[in-house]
Amino acid sequence: MTDATQGAASGGPDESPARPGVQEAEELAIPRNPPRPALALHRELHRVWANDRGLWGQLTAVNHTTLGLRFMGTALVFFAIGGLLSMLIRAQLATHDGAFLDTELYNQIFTMHGSIMMFLFAIPMLEGLGIWLLPKMLGTRDMAFPRLTALGYWCYLFGGLIMLTALLFGVAPRDGWFMYTPLSDATHSPGINADVWLLGVTFVEISAMAAAVEITVTILRQRAPGMKLTEMPLFAWYMLGTSVMMLVGFPPLIAASVLLEVERAFDWPFFDVVRGGDPLLWQHLFWLFGHPEVYIIFLPAAGVLSTLIPALCRTPILGYNAIVAAVLALVFLSFGLWVHHMFTVGIPHMALAFFSAASVLVAVPTAVQVFAWIGTMWKGQPELKLPMYHILGFFLTFVMGGLTGVMLAIVPFNWQAHDTAFVTAHLHYVLIGGFVFPMMAAATWWMPLIFGKRRIKGLGEAAFWVILIGFHGTFFIMHLTGLMGMPRRIDVYPDNPEWVWLNLTSSIFGFVLTIGFAMFALDMILQATLGKRSARDPWGAPTLDWAMPVPSTSYNFASLPGPGMWARVAADVVLPLARGEGVLPGAPRGRREVLVTSVGGARPQHVALLPGNTALPLWLAASIGVFVLLMLAGAYALAGIALIPVAVLVWVWGRGLAPAGDLSPVEAAPGLRLPIHHHARPSLSQSGLFALLVADGALLASLVFGLAFLSVVTVGPVPAPAGGGGADTVTLLAVVVAAVALGVGAAGRAARRRSVAWAGVGLALNLLALALLAVVLGGLDDPTRHARDALRAVLAAYVVVHVLVAAAMSAFALDQFRRAEITAEVAGVLPAWRHWQGFTAVASALVAVAVIAQAGA
Amino acid sequence: MRGLPSLLMLPLMLAACDGPLSALSPRGPVAAEIAWLWWAMLAGAAVLTVLVLALLAMGFGAPRPARARVWIHGMGLWFSVAVLTAVLAAGLWVGERILPRDDGAVTVHAHAWQWGWTFTHTGPDGAEVRSDNLLHIPAGQPVDVLVTAEDVIHSFWVPQLAGKLDAIPGRTNRTRIVADSPGTYAGLCAEFCGLGHARMRFNVEAHAEWPPLLAADDADTADPDREVRP
Amino acid sequence: MRLLALFIAGPALWAVLFAAVYALHGIGCAGLTGPESLGGLWRLVMAGVWIAGLGAHVALLRALPAGRGGADRWLPLTGGWIGLGASAFTLFPVLIATSC
Repeated sequence: MTDATQGAASGGPDESPARPGVQEAEELAIPRNPPRPALALHRELHRVWANDRGLWGQLTAVNHTTLGLRFMGTALVFFAIGGLLSMLIRAQLATHDGAFLDTELYNQIFTMHGSIMMFLFAIPMLEGLGIWLLPKMLGTRDMAFPRLTALGYWCYLFGGLIMLTALLFGVAPRDGWFMYTPLSDATHSPGINADVWLLGVTFVEISAMAAAVEITVTILRQRAPGMKLTEMPLFAWYMLGTSVMMLVGFPPLIAASVLLEVERAFDWPFFDVVRGGDPLLWQHLFWLFGHPEVYIIFLPAAGVLSTLIPALCRTPILGYNAIVAAVLALVFLSFGLWVHHMFTVGIPHMALAFFSAASVLVAVPTAVQVFAWIGTMWKGQPELKLPMYHILGFFLTFVMGGLTGVMLAIVPFNWQAHDTAFVTAHLHYVLIGGFVFPMMAAATWWMPLIFGKRRIKGLGEAAFWVILIGFHGTFFIMHLTGLMGMPRRIDVYPDNPEWVWLNLTSSIFGFVLTIGFAMFALDMILQATLGKRSARDPWGAPTLDWAMPVPSTSYNFASLPGPGMWARVAADVVLPLARGEGVLPGAPRGRREVLVTSVGGARPQHVALLPGNTALPLWLAASIGVFVLLMLAGAYALAGIALIPVAVLVWVWGRGLAPAGDLSPVEAAPGLRLPIHHHARPSLSQSGLFALLVADGALLASLVFGLAFLSVVTVGPVPAPAGGGGADTVTLLAVVVAAVALGVGAAGRAARRRSVAWAGVGLALNLLALALLAVVLGGLDDPTRHARDALRAVLAAYVVVHVLVAAAMSAFALDQFRRAEITAEVAGVLPAWRHWQGFTAVASALVAVAVIAQAGA
Repeated sequence: MRGLPSLLMLPLMLAACDGPLSALSPRGPVAAEIAWLWWAMLAGAAVLTVLVLALLAMGFGAPRPARARVWIHGMGLWFSVAVLTAVLAAGLWVGERILPRDDGAVTVHAHAWQWGWTFTHTGPDGAEVRSDNLLHIPAGQPVDVLVTAEDVIHSFWVPQLAGKLDAIPGRTNRTRIVADSPGTYAGLCAEFCGLGHARMRFNVEAHAEWPPLLAADDADTADPDREVRP
Repeated sequence: MRLLALFIAGPALWAVLFAAVYALHGIGCAGLTGPESLGGLWRLVMAGVWIAGLGAHVALLRALPAGRGGADRWLPLTGGWIGLGASAFTLFPVLIATSC
């Protein structure tokens, strides 16, 4: 145990051993289970955890290994498509008067290149990596919510296909991946192009929210027993930071997309200056997402580096604690720099200075990590294996991209470089350097675990060199192109012969880069098909993900690593785990069981039963897809009807959570009897609900920010005095808030006393609130009149949706009482309803205050 | 590895960076201040890149002690904070120096639309003179440009004279440009604005005499139907 | 969970302070606070909030529980310092930069 005063006195990072937990873990002693034949255990587990057979089995799979790989594979396909689009861009720009593409098509292509790479490649790739790797690294068998994993995948696939189909039919988005209004509004961008972006991306983002919720919960609640938060693998810290950022960062984008789609569809003027809206509101909301997004992409990649570098250097990482602190700093600071994308919109210098300083400061935690990695290499003995090539490619590229990033954070320089090829160069240095190179290192590192094959020697190194040369040849010179004045998103430059050699060089090397990526893909395909069988744990890795057979099994671990097991290198524990000496061995009860542990100290709390293979996520995603397509077609009434099957399927989903079968406690290890999750609190679902409410709160905050922004900053026509400020509306709103708040009490009583009567009271209160809200909505001003009227209506709709869900949950509780599923031991939906009702009460009170204040103003 | 070539390429780049739209061949004090800021940052960045890559290369030697106090505190924290503070201070200082001030500078108006510019200045007789895609300014003195937009967001940029400023519907933004000597300077729209974005160019003509006496066919070339006040 | 809460306390305080000062700046520039002559006074208000925030950071650092040593002590302390450093560094322009 470190001396308590040491950290306090120095206030700095004491060098901590990479496995600081061994002593701590001894506090938590779990006896080993008796060894059993590994093959029998494997058969028992595989029967329970494997996907169903055939194509249908692929459609019903919920397993994290299957879906994580499928996320990553699909993301690679989109990467290839996005890459082909970039080749079209480079072909067009190779000469100064390229006639290769017409402007309309060119605009669609660069918009889709950016959108695909961001939303259909980078984000799903990191989600897939987290989903595939985290359970293996943390010592569990699946993610917390397997059906949610599958739902996320289908939403991603369908949303992506909608966008691709639009491209094939020439109606793809064409207003830039940032979709600035008014260029993207109904007047200046008629047709469905912009709707494809708004609806398609929002559809895809369901998968981001799903992944964020379950990654958060899995890291906090499913670590191997005794693996304290402060001792877990650094990759898990990075992914925790990433998932929390996604919970807070995506809602502003979702809010903005919904507002713009409503403006396009129903003429609500959120961004229309003539009616009190503001195009800058879009920019603020978009970049409130957009900048954290960069770190959402970078953090998992950095997590890979913090995993691979120590393993390849045969030494523990330098400064574990300092890296955790750096992750924390990045998570927060990255939410304070969005305005550096808006330095040229005419914001006063003092505000620019705040964001310039924050943008500069964010380089400090990045530098801490870079030097920790280099220090680790000094400390250890780096081996120049293939993943290390890509790590070196990362250093070379990312350091330069980071430095140009600091330059762009400097306001006067940004005024020159903004929206030029300099920024194009910078962002590719950061994203390819900071994401693609680490992902290639990760791919070459984990390929044996994925396919159980060794690689073919030589091709991987060749691919690396071609990619490196192609990349720097393309983008290094682009800095100069930008400084010589070439703006982004132009298709011709007939008057600027001085840019021709620069662009031609970039185009030629761009094709070299593409050839390199093709070689890399070929290498992976060859390894997967022709490679020789790989041995177990070919790297001699220190982490749990290698303490299993290659390729990995459907259940990961035949028994879960207990205290004193997870802290060893993989080779030491792989056999004891396979023989069932760890916790919760096998699947003797014929169901998918994982261990749930406490947030801080990872003490075993209960056993969660995970759902098996089901097509429900596919049906739910498909029904959401129908809604999206009807919205795209402009059939808004039909789209409303299409929400009914969505609601029904969500209800069916909830029914799947009902307790069934043997609910008696489980003996996880000799003397360690654990209740199953129906009898224990807090459950994984409850943790998931809290994560979801964080995101929901961020959504509400985005809308309230919008209202405040329009009221304070926007210079536009003052709205006609808001109606609905009358005494009757105030009274109505007060009664609504009171009804919802009383609902919290009813839900609480229903939960504590298992009282069907109180559940009925809760339902009645929610229905009363809904009825009154209908009256309030009728009394609100015409939302097409003024942006503030429109935003007030949106806030009211937000409350309506939440009360609707609360009412549905109380009805669900009544149904559970009717089926006798709620008993003295099993609380069913009641706790979740109580938390949701509480959130709704707070949210509706906030909205009521905002609406009334606006009406008074 | 890559930092060194970037240094060696410097003379080549200096020779190559001339051009009518080059921010690196400034023709006025505002653009010159930013250009110097760039060259200073480039030099610093090159040194830092070489430093990091050298440390990385040295990491491939035999294992040697690496202390967190040196690597994390020394390099990661304090060294980077020191460098970044210096860069930030330089940036804020330059930024303050080139801001528009209430000092009675000549004011002209730039109105952007899909796809072109309508510029307005006050003529010799006190009347407003409008011209499409040609901005008249005095040489050798600061000029404040009021930037507005008709339809979508555009951005006013004359790289040799100053940085860019967006033209946003509903807003009037003010930026300061200065041309050292009379002449013609190229400008363009820097914010993507739709199909005509690439061809949304304009020229700035700096005059020794102000207001200039324009030939009849030079003056008021603007489309008279266009309403240019926001 | 408690450790996590203590860990993020410092940066969370930065986030609140940063948002508050930025909002004050917006309100000041919107002229909601009266005639423009208030400009100098308004800067004093913003600086006052900033300095009070720095004081809150220091108070937070002093109030952090001693913990059990090791990472349990180190992480909240580091979080506190990150918050203080970020608030000092990102908001000092309130003293020097030209406003609207």
